[in-house]
Amino acid sequence: MTFFDILKQESRLIFKDAAIVLTILGGVVLYAFLYPQPYAKQSVSSLATAVVDYDKSDISRTMIFSLDATPQIEITRQDLSEQAAKEALVRGEIKAIIVIPKNFKRDLALSKSPTIAVGADSSYFLIYGGVLEGAMKSVLTQSAKVKIANLLKKQVPLAGAKKAYQPYALNTINLFNPNNSYTQYVVPAVFVLILQQTMLIGLGILGGGINERMRRRRADRYLRTVPAWKMYLARLLLFGMIFFLHMLFYFGFSFQYFGISRLAGIADLLTLGVAFIFASFSFGVFLGSLFNTREIATPAILFSSLPLVFSAGFVWPLESLPDWIHALSLLVPSTPAIHAFLSLNQMAADFSMVIQEYALLWVQGSIYLGLALMIFSRRRRANL
Amino acid sequence: MLKAITASFVYELREIRHSWYKLSLLTVLPVMLAVLIISVFRDGVVRDMPLVLVDKDHSTLSRVFVNHLDASPTMAVAYKVGSVREGIALVQKSQAYGVVIVPKGFEKNTLLHLQPKITAMLNTQFILIGKIVTADLTAVALESAAEIEYLQSLQETQNPTLSLKKIAPVGMQVTPFFNLYKNYFYFLVSALIPAIWQIFIVITTLIAIGGMVKEQRVKAFFVTDKHIWGKLMGLVLPYTVIYTIWGVLFLLYIYSFWAFQGSFAIVILGSVLTVIAYQSMALFLFVIGFDYARSLSLGAVYTAPAFAFLGITFPMYNMNDFALFWRDLLPLSHYLQLQISQANYGANPWEESSRLLVLASFSLIMIPVVIRFKAYLRKELH
Repeated sequence: MTFFDILKQESRLIFKDAAIVLTILGGVVLYAFLYPQPYAKQSVSSLATAVVDYDKSDISRTMIFSLDATPQIEITRQDLSEQAAKEALVRGEIKAIIVIPKNFKRDLALSKSPTIAVGADSSYFLIYGGVLEGAMKSVLTQSAKVKIANLLKKQVPLAGAKKAYQPYALNTINLFNPNNSYTQYVVPAVFVLILQQTMLIGLGILGGGINERMRRRRADRYLRTVPAWKMYLARLLLFGMIFFLHMLFYFGFSFQYFGISRLAGIADLLTLGVAFIFASFSFGVFLGSLFNTREIATPAILFSSLPLVFSAGFVWPLESLPDWIHALSLLVPSTPAIHAFLSLNQMAADFSMVIQEYALLWVQGSIYLGLALMIFSRRRRANL
Repeated sequence: MLKAITASFVYELREIRHSWYKLSLLTVLPVMLAVLIISVFRDGVVRDMPLVLVDKDHSTLSRVFVNHLDASPTMAVAYKVGSVREGIALVQKSQAYGVVIVPKGFEKNTLLHLQPKITAMLNTQFILIGKIVTADLTAVALESAAEIEYLQSLQETQNPTLSLKKIAPVGMQVTPFFNLYKNYFYFLVSALIPAIWQIFIVITTLIAIGGMVKEQRVKAFFVTDKHIWGKLMGLVLPYTVIYTIWGVLFLLYIYSFWAFQGSFAIVILGSVLTVIAYQSMALFLFVIGFDYARSLSLGAVYTAPAFAFLGITFPMYNMNDFALFWRDLLPLSHYLQLQISQANYGANPWEESSRLLVLASFSLIMIPVVIRFKAYLRKELH
């Protein structure tokens, strides 16, 4: 059997199986569209907020106006009492309540430091954080105004007063993902995982199916006789090609479409990509050699997805992760791959900074491929 | 009808007893996955996130600032380097979440009222940490600046209380409603484990029905094309019972740490309806092609992205119309709203009737399922 014949046999195994095609072609494209949908508007804004204004002065109205002007907060109702506002909160009409106390204006003039109360729904952290951020901004602005006014009263010139109202200032710069885009936070990492998982499911269905046929003595001459390494090489070429194209589609077109930054050089990205595809492929044939039936692959991979996402260190920090979970997650290609792809593409890192992850992918790939060859050959001999 | 339900219930119980695969999906695997997720978030709060310090001043005042920074529970100065370049490299390698730069002449310029600027370059790629660090760093800067301002003002006025009031003309008091501890454990685990739960429900339904088709047990199971609905219901009933029990046990677990405000019974009713809703949807996915492996792929498409659509991490108020539509197709999003509104808000149980009705209405999908099955069985039985 020539290598070309082997390639033909392998593509027949892949493309004649509707479940595999559905996963590695349909699924990959569908997921690229589906996953980013919740975050299409990118960030949390215009959170419905109620104001209870007990002061009803011009200053309190300025305060409300400046709260409403922040991107995070939108004043949707004014209530006469906190009770009424709280009921609206439970009904889900608003997410936060801001209370301006009685005599706000007078206390401000008397330097009595009146306090604005902010309450927000902390069932949802982004909502809570957003309201806090907006309220903080306008309270600080209001504070600064008062301080500058007080300094002006002391005959300090405006330019001096503007600087002297605070001994020093903090200037924060958002280094990467400057707009705090939620899409850019989640999608680049999840896309790496989707590529891996769909490849694993495809190879798992294929490998499980082959094992099933061998066990039932239904394997054809191709499966019984062709050297395992030639089979895997042909499979690697086919899956490699398909997923290389997927990778271009994901990191190229999709990133562009969803407005995600692409800071990596194309050569760096593809170098890493090849290692990632190789590692995922090897892991896939390894799992495939273990599965007894075709139908075990999808559930097994599916159940691993959420644990893998949350132990990869981008949602929840590695520093807070138990060591044993981190160690376990390093057995799977997606963990180093997510890390390295984010560093290169989202954080403009040098390739030398991700060399460890890159090396780990090759190590994983080689070990899993060796194991897969061993297990498959042994199983085949047992069923002959 | 009742006879059909009982007969197929007993039938599937026997199948389960003889299948390690089904047994572990019902018992060991849910526990293992729950333990895994719970362990990931066992800390619940973010502590000592590493920052890089570039102190170009090395003065008493810069030390006041750094001490305040180190005292903050969420942040820690993990590296001290000489240049910003080195600091950014540490961020790019994800070893630190930001670089804090104290400029040269910081102390001198502060005393001269020239308002120097401390620069913090923060990695907002990781939004969760980025937001926490941004907020807490702002607080630290305000705090330490206030301390210095207070001392300066005290020299002028010699009046401690007046000085304090002058520093912060407007105060702000913050109250978190409902999740009082601002704990990520509660926030994420209470949604993540239900997201895994729905995968179990859909997958086991597909295994029960798909395995039967694959192993050619259809004729023996159905015999005639009568009472299809009852037979299907009996078939999935063991799973309905077990996964409802898991759902309730999880509620008992998570609300042993956090207060539950409303009616527990309503949420239990909700979880029964959620299990049934998912089983009906899974049967629907199966009758699209009557193929075991393909239906599992469809089940994956349906359940895998669900967590993102639940509106827990990213609020539904900022989702687009398509996302909201897809979200409505997931029973879990209705169920979690019920859970949150009962557990956190303690809403009036009667107000939940619309949510329960929505959950119950998912079983209407059984009408096309039964019709498709009837046609399929006519072909198979003859």
